[in-house]
Amino acid sequence: MATSDRAWPPVRLQVVDPQRFVVYGVFVVVFVFFAATLHDDGFLTQTNLLNIVRQTTPITIMAVGVVFVLSAGEIDLSLGAVVALSALVTADLLQDHSAVLAVGAGLAVGVAVGVANGLFVTALVLPSFLVTFASLAVVTGLARSVTDLRSVAVENRDFAAIFGSGDVGPVPGLAFWALGATAVGHFLLRYSRFGAHVLAIGDNAQAARATGIRVDRVRLLVFVLSATSAAVAGILYAGRLQGATYTLGEQDLLTVIAAVVIGGTRLFGGEGSVIGALVGSLLMGVLTNGLVLWGFSASEQLIAQGTLLLVAISLTLRGQRADG
Amino acid sequence: MTAVIRVAQLRKQFGAILALDDMTLDIDAGEVVALVGDNGAGKSTVVRCLAGLSVPTAGQIMLDGAAVRFAHPGDARRHGIEVVLQELALADRQPVYMNVFLGRELVRRPAHRLDRRGMAAATQRLLESLEVRIDSPHKIVRELSGGQRQAVAIARAVHWAKRVVLMDEPTASLGAVETRRVEELIARLRERGTAILVVSHSLDQVFRIADRICVLRRGRQIGVRTASETTAEEILAMITGLA
Amino acid sequence: MDIRAGVQAAGLLAVTAALAAVGVGCQSANDEPAASGTLRITASKPLGKTLGPNGEEPTPASALRLTNKEIARVRAGGYTAALVWHEQSDFTTALDEGVRDSFRKLGIRVVAETSANFDAAKQKSDVETIAAKHPSVLLTLPVDPVVTASAYKAVAAQGTKIVLLSSIPNGMEYGRDYVTMVTDDLFQMGKRAADALAAAIGDKGTIAYFFHDANHYVTNQRDQAFLRTITNSYPDIEVVAKAGIADPNRAQEVAGATLVRHPDLSGAYVMFAQPPGEGVLAALRANGNSSTKLVTLDLDEPLALDMAKGGHTSALIIDRPYELGHAMAIAAGYGLLSKPAPPFITGPAITVTRENLAQAYQESLHRSAPKSILDALGR
Repeated sequence: MATSDRAWPPVRLQVVDPQRFVVYGVFVVVFVFFAATLHDDGFLTQTNLLNIVRQTTPITIMAVGVVFVLSAGEIDLSLGAVVALSALVTADLLQDHSAVLAVGAGLAVGVAVGVANGLFVTALVLPSFLVTFASLAVVTGLARSVTDLRSVAVENRDFAAIFGSGDVGPVPGLAFWALGATAVGHFLLRYSRFGAHVLAIGDNAQAARATGIRVDRVRLLVFVLSATSAAVAGILYAGRLQGATYTLGEQDLLTVIAAVVIGGTRLFGGEGSVIGALVGSLLMGVLTNGLVLWGFSASEQLIAQGTLLLVAISLTLRGQRADG
Repeated sequence: MTAVIRVAQLRKQFGAILALDDMTLDIDAGEVVALVGDNGAGKSTVVRCLAGLSVPTAGQIMLDGAAVRFAHPGDARRHGIEVVLQELALADRQPVYMNVFLGRELVRRPAHRLDRRGMAAATQRLLESLEVRIDSPHKIVRELSGGQRQAVAIARAVHWAKRVVLMDEPTASLGAVETRRVEELIARLRERGTAILVVSHSLDQVFRIADRICVLRRGRQIGVRTASETTAEEILAMITGLA
Repeated sequence: MDIRAGVQAAGLLAVTAALAAVGVGCQSANDEPAASGTLRITASKPLGKTLGPNGEEPTPASALRLTNKEIARVRAGGYTAALVWHEQSDFTTALDEGVRDSFRKLGIRVVAETSANFDAAKQKSDVETIAAKHPSVLLTLPVDPVVTASAYKAVAAQGTKIVLLSSIPNGMEYGRDYVTMVTDDLFQMGKRAADALAAAIGDKGTIAYFFHDANHYVTNQRDQAFLRTITNSYPDIEVVAKAGIADPNRAQEVAGATLVRHPDLSGAYVMFAQPPGEGVLAALRANGNSSTKLVTLDLDEPLALDMAKGGHTSALIIDRPYELGHAMAIAAGYGLLSKPAPPFITGPAITVTRENLAQAYQESLHRSAPKSILDALGR
C-alpha cells in the first residue's frame, strides 16, 4: 500500500550516470597504465596531455552531434564529407573575405546538409542509413569539385587563432571548444525538453508521437545538429591545420561512432551520454598517443587499438544489457 | 445537454480496406460507453481517430458541439482527450515520471530546464492517489511488470484527462485484483464528469462498468444499447451477427 | 623471253619474297605476346631531367656518402629518430627497412613510427605527438604540402633535423627547416616508360596517354617526361588520345570512353599502377581487346601477374624504396653533422619486364616475388 510518507530516493543530479561507468573505468585504467609505463617517454608532460586535447577536439565535437542522432534511433553517415566541404568552403572564402563570412558559410554548409538529410528522412520516410549514405556520396563529390581537389591554405591569423591554433595561456583554444560543445550537448540532452524528446523517440517513436511530440520536427533538428557539429569540426580543422583539403574527415566517422558507443550511447537509440562521448573521445586519443609514444610500429598500433576498442565496446554493451 | 464528444458518420479507409464506415456515437460527460466487437471490427480505428493518431477519411468529430480536426496527436491532447492504447505507448528506458510527463514535461527557470524533481513528486502523488503499487517514480519502465506498466499508462491518462479518456483494452494484461482497481478508477473518472470510451473484449466487464454499449462488426456500427436495457445475449448476437 | 631477264625477274621476285617474309616475320613478332620474345628496349637520349618542386637541380642518391670518421661521430651522438609515413604498403615496408638498416649502422635509434593513412589531420597529430619526444631526426612523406606545413614547421623550429620524401610542405626552407628532399628520378621513370612502350609496339603505332589530371608534383613530372620522350624521340608513334584522370579510382571509366573512340590502340601509358593502371587493364579486358600494350609505374601484383602471363602489361617502371630509405638515412646523418646536403636527391628507377620480374621484387622491395607470380613465370 503506497503511503505519502514512504521515503523514495530523492532526485540526484546525475552528471555521471552510474550505469555507464564502464567508459570512465576503462579510461582511468588506460591512462594510469600509460602514465606508469611511459613516464620517461613524455606521456605525462603538459605538452603531451594538451596535445591529446587538441587532437581529440574535432572528434569530440562531432561525437556530441552523433550522440543525439543515435539517441533518436537514427544514423548519419555523411559526417566526414561535411567536415571536408565546410573546411574547404571556409578556407576558400577566407582568402578574400572576412572570417565572419567564411565561418558563416562553413556553418551554413552543415545546416544545409542537415536539413536535406532531415527532410529526406522525415518527409519521404526513408531510412537514415540510406539517406545519409547517399548524401555522403553527394557531399564527397561536392568537396572534391569545390576546389578541384586542390588544397587551400589558410593565412588569416585571427581566424586560425580562434578556430584551432590559438592558446589561452597554456590551455589550447580547442579545449574550450571541446568543453563548450560538451556542456551545451549535455545540457540539451539531460536538461531540456528537446533532449527528453530525442531519447523518447529513439526509445519508442510511436509512444512519443502518441503523446503529442512532433517527432518529425525533432528528427529534422537532430540531423541539423549532427551536420552542424561536423561543420564546426571542419572549421576547426581548417584553423588547426591552417589549410583544408578534400580528404579531411574522411576517416573520422568510425572513430566518432566508436567514441560515442564506448561512452554509453545506445546504437539503436533511447539512451545517450554526452559526457560519456567526451570521455570516449579522450580514451581514443590517449590510446593513439600512448601507442605512438611506446614506439610500436604502425601495424602494431592498429592491432592494439582494434583489440582495446573491442574490449571497451564489449564491456559497455554488456553493461547495457545487464540493465535488463 | 450536448455530448462532450460526438463522432458523426465517421469513416476510415486504408487503401482498399474500409476499416470503419458511417459510425455515429455520442459520449456525454460522466458517461462510460463501451465499444465492443470482434477482431477487425474497427474498434481500435475509432480510438485512434479520436486520439488524433489517424485522420478520418470522412465524417466529423465534435467537441462540445464544435467540429474539430486533429492534424496530429498533440491537437487531441490539447483538446483534453487522453488515450490508453493497447501498446501502452511507453518509453521503456525512461523512468515512470518521465513517461507520465512525456511530451508535457515540466520546466523551471532558469533556462527552461526539466523540473525532474517536480515531475517525480507529482508522479508520486498521482501513483499514491490511484493506489498504484510502484516503489518509486524513478523506476525505469522496462523493469516493471506488465500490470505495473499498464497502471502507468492509465495513470498518465487519468492525470491529464480533462474531458475525454479513451481506453483500448485497459485491463488486457491484468490480474483480477488489478482489473478491479482499474474499474474502480474508471468509476471515479466517471464521477468526475469525464467522458469515457472503453474498448473491451470482456462482456462481463462491459456490463460491470458501461452505461451504454456500442457494437461494431466489420467496420459497421450495428447498434447502441443502454446497458441496463439489454442483455449479454443480445450484445453477443449483435457482435457475431448470428441471431 | 631472254634468260637473263628471266633470272633477273626471278631474282627480284625472290628478294621481294624474302623481304616480304622478313616483313611478315617482323610484324608477327610484334603481334605475339611478349612472353614468346624478349622486350628489347633501347634507351633514348634523355630530353630533360628531374627538377625539385622549386626547380632544384638533382643529385643522384649514390652521391650521398659518409666517411668512416663521420659515421663514428654520428654513432657517438646517441641520436634518436621518428618516422612519420603517409601510408602502409609494400613501398613503405621496403622504405622503412632501408631506413632502419642504415640507422642501425649509424647507431640512430628509432623511437616512434606512425602511419597517417593519407589523413592530413592524423599526420599533424602524429607529428605533434612525436615532437614531444624531441627526436634528433624526423623522416617523413608529408601527405599534403599545404595542410601539413604548420606541423612540420613547428617541429623544425625545435631543432629536429627533417628529411623529406616526395613533398616539401609550404614555406619550409632548405637548410633552415629541412635537410634535403628525396624522391625518385621522376624524369627517368617517365622516359623509361616511353622507351619501354615504344619497344613493345615496335617504335610505331597509336597510343593513349592517361595522365594525372591534378596539380601534383610527382605524377606531373613523370607524365610530362613520358609525353616529351614519346613525342620527340619516336616520330612514328602518334599520341591519338590524351585523357586526364583526376580521380585515380575512376580510371576504368575514363579508359573505357577512350577505347570507344580508339578501339585499336597499339599501346597505352597510365600514370601509375594502383588503382588507375588496374582500371585501364580492366577496361581493355572488358572491351575484348587483346593487343594493346600497357606500360605503367610501380610494382603492383595484378599487373605483374598480367605481365607474367603474357597479357597486356609489357613493362612496369619502378623505383627502389629500399634505396630511397637508405638515402634518407644518410641524409639524416648529414643533418646531424651539420654537413650541407644537396637540396634535392633522386633515387634510381628500374624497367621491369617479364624477364627480370622475379628479381625486381628483390631489387626494389628486398623480398621475394609472390608465389602466384613465380608460378605464372614457370619457376
